[in-house]
Amino acid sequence: MATYAEMVEIYEDIKSDFRYDHELNGCLNCGICTATCPSAQFYDYSPREIVQLLWTENVEQIYDAMQEKIWACAQCMTCAARCPFKNSPGGLVAIMREVAIKHGMQSAKDVLRPFGRVMLKLITTGNQLSPDMIQPDHFPDWGPNIQKVSGDLKILRKAIPMKTLQTTDTAWEVSLKTSVEMYTIWEMTGVLKQLETMDENLYDVIEDFIEEKREEYADWLEEQEDNKEDA
Amino acid sequence: MSNPTNEPRGIAGHGAFFQPTDLSPEQAEKATEWVRKQVDRRTVDLGERMDDVRDHMWELEKDGEIIVHRITDAHKPVIVKTLFGWDKKIPTSQLWHHKSCGQCGNIPGYPTSLLWTMNGLGMVPGKDYLDETDQTSCTAWNYHGSGIGNVESLAAVFLRNFHQAYVSGKRLGHDAGHFFPLVHCATSFGNYKEIRKYLVESAPLRERVKKILAKLGRLVDGKIVIPEEVVHYSDWVHVMRNDIASKLQKIDVSNMRVTVHMACHYSKMVHEDAIYDPEVLGGNRAATGTGIAQALGAQVIDYSTWYDCCGFGFRHIISEREFTRSFTIDRKIKVAREEANADMMLGIDTGCVTTMDKNQWIGKAHEQSYTMPIMADIQFAALACGADPLKIVQLQWHASPCEDVVEKMGISWADAKKRFEAYLEEVKAGKIEYLYDPKLAASAAA
Ligand code: SF4
Ligand code: SF4
Repeated sequence: MATYAEMVEIYEDIKSDFRYDHELNGCLNCGICTATCPSAQFYDYSPREIVQLLWTENVEQIYDAMQEKIWACAQCMTCAARCPFKNSPGGLVAIMREVAIKHGMQSAKDVLRPFGRVMLKLITTGNQLSPDMIQPDHFPDWGPNIQKVSGDLKILRKAIPMKTLQTTDTAWEVSLKTSVEMYTIWEMTGVLKQLETMDENLYDVIEDFIEEKREEYADWLEEQEDNKEDA
Repeated sequence: MSNPTNEPRGIAGHGAFFQPTDLSPEQAEKATEWVRKQVDRRTVDLGERMDDVRDHMWELEKDGEIIVHRITDAHKPVIVKTLFGWDKKIPTSQLWHHKSCGQCGNIPGYPTSLLWTMNGLGMVPGKDYLDETDQTSCTAWNYHGSGIGNVESLAAVFLRNFHQAYVSGKRLGHDAGHFFPLVHCATSFGNYKEIRKYLVESAPLRERVKKILAKLGRLVDGKIVIPEEVVHYSDWVHVMRNDIASKLQKIDVSNMRVTVHMACHYSKMVHEDAIYDPEVLGGNRAATGTGIAQALGAQVIDYSTWYDCCGFGFRHIISEREFTRSFTIDRKIKVAREEANADMMLGIDTGCVTTMDKNQWIGKAHEQSYTMPIMADIQFAALACGADPLKIVQLQWHASPCEDVVEKMGISWADAKKRFEAYLEEVKAGKIEYLYDPKLAASAAA
């Protein structure tokens, strides 16, 4: 449990995000957002409530909502399209999630654990998803017939008539140079830091991977130079 | 509902202090009538409170702050109207395919149908479009799912990818700006528009990401490159719909009952930029998807939950699948089946097609055995234009009964499957057929 001062700090972090004033312009308490919200139908969650808590600066209940509720949001932005005040409750939730991560809140760690595979793929390749992640044994609830032609994944992917798609461990072929550029983006924007706060083990794996890929790229560049000199 | 004990009691989804209204069904109907009317019409017009970010973008260009990747006559643009009646330019040629990881990884028939249709219309790979390896995901699925990432990282990814689009023609002898990005995924589309808005509005953000782009060598004359429009593939399909129908269509689909699911991140995120067309659903709803179905002559059937999300939820599809499948079955599949008695549901996005396609079988566990073939608008269009259901439309990756659609269109699924299995043998022997010369794909180093 955080102290009141920590809760205030968390609230200040939310409020100081430059999107905050875009996303919150007042609130009629009309509930249109909640009426159209898919998550409100399934969870103890209401975008109207989130907006009201922020609007009334209720720091304790904001902190409470960050324990679980903010993770119920499906980020569909239906609320944002409907709100007569031009608020974006979904956008506010996105800010609150970022702040929950920044503060290393346990709720964020719990919620994000199953996301590790996507994160690893994304950070290391620049692709969020790959064919080998969507195999039947990963998704038993999708049923026994999730594909209508069975066979070796590699061959099935080769039978896609686009060169870039003939991959199994990335959704499309991402050039090494492109991935290496992504590592710079992750570093310079603090995303790797976020990861370190959330999951140190995953962070270590990713760090090693990045180092390896950078070396591979440096070797490749060197090879090109040598070839040029030889020519 | 009475509450004899008078215990404080909340309603799920409304916060702990909310109580049931105890309205009769008639009263409840009356109370929600207004909301339903609002949802069903374009009454969200915020008038002068809504700013067109493109006006500010032009000012920044004039001040020498940014370069705008322009849509020129060479891109053969078509002008359409968006939600508030604003104009939007849709380039129809010289397109850089900005692929979707969910589509490529999971529904590859999406991009293949699109490229096949472009080829059919006479577009020349390497000149009229380009598919290359130097691009990443937008990373917004991850951001909306996990909260990992931030505006700065999303902006840097956006500018990096779009800079690549801007310079991609060079290696093929074209000028800078030759290829204009065509964004396949609706989440990328919504996210990029949101980020473009922030970039145009915030000088500090521009400064911060400029440093990153400089380090990557991705500035042009020391400036960031921002696209004149962010264009979704369904925008392209929409403006090309009559050409597709008149020039390519081979199969009569007037017997097909079609429902359409509009992607939230197409029509609700930066909603002012979505195409609305008075000829499609009275201009009351976003037009893409429905427009092509109508142009092909299919029967578009309305259903009461058309405005609902599919239940994808970004993190929910991975870690809260009960939500995803319950929502998609209850609010989409069941309704399209029972109310509309549709032959299929068309989507225009990645997550929705995946969610609705894959989460039907599990309904059996809850005695909710509803099935509905799910595919993208462009897959349906390609089928109607005679594309092979497996080799081109790649329906073998779908879990929903898409073979029913194929059969109803008069194509034998069994024959197509046999042909495909024979083709797989050729693939094994290295005889692969391509939609474009595979050498065009190798864009960057390594
Ligand atoms: S729709 Fe807007 S004004 Fe109404 S309750 Fe929700 S946030 Fe408040
Ligand atoms: S973005 Fe979140 S809060 Fe808004 S309608 Fe969708 S699920 Fe509800």
